Amino acid sequence: MKLLKPFQNDALVAELGAAPALPEGRSLWADARRRFGRNHAARASVVVLLLVGLACAVGPWLSPHAFDSADWGGMNLPPTWANGHWWGTDDAGRDLLVRCLIGGRVSLTVGLLATLASVSLGIVWGATAGFIGGRVDALMMRVVDMMYAIPYLLIAILLVTLLGRDFHLVVLTITAFSWMDMARVVRGQTLGLRAKEFIEAARAMGVSTPRIIAGHIVPNLLGMVVIYTTVTVPGVILTESVLSFLGLGIQEPMTSWGVLIHDGASVMEVSPWLLLFPAGLLSLALYCFNFIGDGLRDALDPKDR
Amino acid sequence: MWTYTLRRLLVTLPTVLAVITVCYLLLHATPGGPFDNERNVSAAVLANLQAKYHLDKPLWQQYLYYLNNLLHGDLGASFRYADWSVNELVAKALPVSLAIGGVSMLLSVFIGVAVGIGAALRQNSRFDHALMLVSNIGSVVPSFVIGPVLILVFAIGLHWLPAGGWNDFEPRYLVLPVALLSFINVATIGRVMRGSLIEVLHSNFIRTARAKGLPRRVVVLRHALKPALLPVVSVLGPLAISSITAALVAETVFSLPGLGRLIVNGAGNRDYTLVLGLVVLITVLAVSVNLLVDLAYAWLDPKIRY
Amino acid sequence: MKAVLQRLLCPVLALLALGGAQAATIPPGVQLHPTQTLIRNDGSEPETLDPALGESVGAHNVIRELFEGLTANDAAGQIVPGVAESWKQTNATTWVFKLRANAKWSNGDPITADDVVYGIRRFIDPKTASTYAATFGTFLLNGADAAKGAKPVSEIGVKALDKLTLEVKTPYPVPFLPALMSNNNLGPVHKATVEKYGKDWTKPGKMVGNGAYVLKEWEVNNRIVIEKNPQYWDAANVQLTRVTHLPIEDGYADVKLYESGQNEWVLQLPPSTYEKYKAQYPKDIRNMLILGLRYYSFQTQSPVFKDVRVRKALSMVIDRDILAQKVTADGQAPAYDIGIKGLDGMDVQPYDWAAWPMERRVAEAKKLLAEAGVKPGAKFVFSYNTSEYHKKMAVFAASEWKSKLGLDIETESMEFKVLLKKRHDGTFQMARNGWLADYNDATSFLALIRCDSDQNNNFNCNRKAEALIEEGLKQSDPAKRKALLNQASRLIMDDYPIIPLLQYSLPRLVKPYVGGYSLENLQDRYRSKDLYIIKH
Repeated sequence: MKLLKPFQNDALVAELGAAPALPEGRSLWADARRRFGRNHAARASVVVLLLVGLACAVGPWLSPHAFDSADWGGMNLPPTWANGHWWGTDDAGRDLLVRCLIGGRVSLTVGLLATLASVSLGIVWGATAGFIGGRVDALMMRVVDMMYAIPYLLIAILLVTLLGRDFHLVVLTITAFSWMDMARVVRGQTLGLRAKEFIEAARAMGVSTPRIIAGHIVPNLLGMVVIYTTVTVPGVILTESVLSFLGLGIQEPMTSWGVLIHDGASVMEVSPWLLLFPAGLLSLALYCFNFIGDGLRDALDPKDR
Repeated sequence: MWTYTLRRLLVTLPTVLAVITVCYLLLHATPGGPFDNERNVSAAVLANLQAKYHLDKPLWQQYLYYLNNLLHGDLGASFRYADWSVNELVAKALPVSLAIGGVSMLLSVFIGVAVGIGAALRQNSRFDHALMLVSNIGSVVPSFVIGPVLILVFAIGLHWLPAGGWNDFEPRYLVLPVALLSFINVATIGRVMRGSLIEVLHSNFIRTARAKGLPRRVVVLRHALKPALLPVVSVLGPLAISSITAALVAETVFSLPGLGRLIVNGAGNRDYTLVLGLVVLITVLAVSVNLLVDLAYAWLDPKIRY
Repeated sequence: MKAVLQRLLCPVLALLALGGAQAATIPPGVQLHPTQTLIRNDGSEPETLDPALGESVGAHNVIRELFEGLTANDAAGQIVPGVAESWKQTNATTWVFKLRANAKWSNGDPITADDVVYGIRRFIDPKTASTYAATFGTFLLNGADAAKGAKPVSEIGVKALDKLTLEVKTPYPVPFLPALMSNNNLGPVHKATVEKYGKDWTKPGKMVGNGAYVLKEWEVNNRIVIEKNPQYWDAANVQLTRVTHLPIEDGYADVKLYESGQNEWVLQLPPSTYEKYKAQYPKDIRNMLILGLRYYSFQTQSPVFKDVRVRKALSMVIDRDILAQKVTADGQAPAYDIGIKGLDGMDVQPYDWAAWPMERRVAEAKKLLAEAGVKPGAKFVFSYNTSEYHKKMAVFAASEWKSKLGLDIETESMEFKVLLKKRHDGTFQMARNGWLADYNDATSFLALIRCDSDQNNNFNCNRKAEALIEEGLKQSDPAKRKALLNQASRLIMDDYPIIPLLQYSLPRLVKPYVGGYSLENLQDRYRSKDLYIIKH
């Protein structure tokens, strides 16, 4: 019975001091956080994005201009320090800076909500289809094919007319057409993972299908999912601008980056600031999403040492 | 593999039918009809217009009538473009969209894969960041900005290329639209390629290949590329479809007579037959492209079996 | 003035006019370019090239080249002989048109009066289902009934007296009948071709027309190419040999093609660009007022707008000068009446408050609202169809109502068809609206505010005014007619069914070497046969 006790030479212990504490176990998530932290671009992007988000959330309250106060005497003013319109005015005399910030609120919220919803739906759909395979896979993928084929304009018009125009409706409409890409990508990855040995092992051990999907497949998909999510966000924000342009999204006087950019693009030769500022803001935000996405992918890759 | 392909092709029929039914119901449920016009028409004329296009019959009868025509290859008459049949319109617009979408896809795959490989091999270096910055312009700047900028620079500024239009596949008219679509596609393909290749390069079999002393080129191109292409191929399907069928911004900005314009004009005018005809076409295209993608999976990863 | 003179002298002049050359009148000393071709934009893909079925501006621009009616609009918009070389009014309700002996179809067949009869009957026949059948048919004897299907088309008041003589009967005096006959819907159609090819008869190679041009190529959403018709009776005076019509809808794309040299005629400059292009291309810019009105409709039966004082108040406070000069800034004129400049048959009668200073108008409007029991913060909904232009105007209107009257205005933009349905069903409070004249007469605009009119979206009806109008239409004396119509219009407009805002202008870019472009063409009907390319 003595053999089962850890060996301890009391004399040695007295000389050397107590046994050094074992290093604390590091979880995989902590590993990932650390790796992410080392990625400069990603770190900078998080900071920038937070700043932009903060500006959009709080900025409009700090500005002396309201986003919808038209000034027909001061239309299309270029950016100047003096008159308080730091980013100039649009063709109704409204302050561009405030409108960009308000627009940012809408774009970022819609972007995040719609992306979250469509990614979740896409993962569940794709992983289930890819893992179960067979007829269920075939049926589920045919539904995906079907969704691709229906022109989204039609659905958008119908949804708007039946349910009324609402911010949540825009999110719903965009989600309805953004989940299919994720589903296909996830299904593809799942098909590859399904054949790997550790899945076989899990099955052999009797783990139930939902648990395999949730506990083994999904975490291994995360890299690809994260990349594709950050590819989705720009698409979602841009889709929102097309919808608004067609009269199916955000109503005047509320605005979004997409709407501001669209309006600015039309007059870019006359009033370039109307395009440059909102487009710059959008590009900045989306680049940040991209770098964060790449950083997350690198961080979450279990094989990256 | 062949039985799988055959089964998939057979499934096309019910898929097309399901999509037509859904769209048919949606179209008829949407407010506004094809004959709601700026100049209101009298009841008598409206009745005649509806009779002419069988819109006065009950919905289910119209539906069966449409399906019957469809089986005979007749997509019906268009309301919006009243002198043309849907067959004629689609036959004229499809080659335009195919040409532009197809050329753009080919170009984007080459450039996107090259960019992805280049960035992955120098992961996290300045080169990587710079390359990604440039290639991502297409996903960060909206297409309705890139398009007009291209026109301003190359057509109006330098007078090298036309500002739009179409002249029977003359290459000059293809350059700018293909460039626009490629900007957008390269962004996605490049990022996905980079991410996927990075993952693959860290796997064990690559480590083995490197340990064996194989030159880097061989390791990357012969061993890592094929499995890394899997997610890229998943992405190609939807990208190809949207390049061909939903390139509306490109078609508007460059005044191209393609499928995107037909669909939006059709939906906007409640042109039931035109929209349904295009939906049939797009469904068949989507199913075929997705089938090709799934077959490509099997070729790229021998462990995937259907 | 010009128009009144024309109406009085028309019968006389028509007798004297011997169908001489009315095509491109080239001023002396102008040298022509060796290549006479033109590329012009019509703004939309034609829905058809069948003259009986054409509805949109885009369709009619092309149809006008390929077909010719009894009369036509020349470069300055004046009515000139077309297929008919002369006409006279034999009594208050009967006209006789004499066709040219040398008028031919593009396949060489001579044009006869029977062709015109066939064309008109086919157009009005409800089986053809033309949306203009009632609009124009109402001016022909039994036309309105035939369009409804109540009478057979053989009873329509058009008869071929002999091969080259056509008699037209109207149900009441129609002084502008020659102007009406310039519409291609009422023109001759080649029966044998229609019967042979059915729906396909309008395709290149099959179409047989009688216009200055024949259809060479038709690529949907791309271009329509037409070439000079050697069989045309006035072919000797047609300068342009080949014209390409483009269907570009997007205004910005239109201008870009112009700047890159692929387009020589922009349809209409997009919003907010007029000042810029005026400065950049001073020789290319063309602009004038045309026969069109931008207005907002009230749903006069809706509870919020039942009170005329509310409607008047909202109409009063909009500063149409700022709207014209700053907001739209493309040469449009403020409008305070249904009548507009250049419209025949009615005077422009602006509201009395149009001359007041804005402060007085606002004070009066506030008073009216208070009397009507509308408090500040009251909510109104304004609907418009999605477009940059309409949005800009809507934002302005909303800000006027908000800042001057303290009202809470909700603007909703929607797809065009959805707006049409709303207007048609009356499920709106205020809606954006607009109208371009089909023919130069007051009745074209009165239709917007008359009782039981298909074009009335305001659901208003003033029976007294209606009686005056019907009385007026029976008059042969143009002065009496105008007086009655003026009176009726005054009655209706004092009830504020609409808010008239601006008279349309037509800001466009046309290459300076395109000759024959007149700024007096109030209906924007430019035939390519009147144009020519100056040496450049």
